[in-house]
Amino acid sequence: MSDGVTLAQEASSRDPAVGLRAVRALRELSERLEALQVASAREQGWSWQEIAVCLGVSRQAVHKKHGGKRRILKKED
Amino acid sequence: MFERFTDGARRIVVDAQAEARELWHHHIGTEHLLLSLLNDDGPISRTAAEHGLDRAAVRARLARTSEDPLDPEALSTLGIDLDAVRAATERTFGPGALDHAAGGRRGPRGHLPFTPSAKKALELSLRHAIRLKQKEIHEGHILLGVLHDDAFLSVRIATEAGVDVGAIRGHVDRLLTSRAA
Repeated sequence: MSDGVTLAQEASSRDPAVGLRAVRALRELSERLEALQVASAREQGWSWQEIAVCLGVSRQAVHKKHGGKRRILKKED
Repeated sequence: MFERFTDGARRIVVDAQAEARELWHHHIGTEHLLLSLLNDDGPISRTAAEHGLDRAAVRARLARTSEDPLDPEALSTLGIDLDAVRAATERTFGPGALDHAAGGRRGPRGHLPFTPSAKKALELSLRHAIRLKQKEIHEGHILLGVLHDDAFLSVRIATEAGVDVGAIRGHVDRLLTSRAA
């Protein structure tokens, strides 16, 4: 099976469809990790300003993106 | 139309829906029936594997059409192991954290419809059982149905993989008739 997978990867390494799909998946992964980390920081009492500095964006940007979201981290209840 | 299906054959159909769902597809096609058939550890999937039609290859081919943006195969081309990332985030944020973080976006839910080709493939599995003078429809008959028509995506995938579809059909035919004997 590993032979088949390697062959498939070699054949597809120059295929833009494969590369673009990988970029999309990476962006999705990054978005999800950001949502988790921001939610966690807020729970630990971080201000939007502090989070924004760490992410290298403006306070307004981070607040606009994550401010109105439902809680994604489950609290023990 | 499922009255004559054996339990094993019914399970193939049910699992095909799970395969489709896992790929975030909104329909059940011949490709999902094929994947489901190859998943099973019985004589039919072994015969298909002998002819070079194996689950890993078909799964990898279909993963390229997955509607799930968080695609493990795509990430693996960059050297990212999604399972490792998942494990790390779950250690910190709890089980299912990465999926909760997807927000409102999620895969298809509820009942997924069969494509016309998948319906035709299942009808053909009945025709193959009748042709072989067999009362019940087994996994093998479903494979014959799924591989019957060159226009089916399942057949195109097999052919692309360099599989001699005619040889599998013949082999499965013999398998089914020897079982009946």
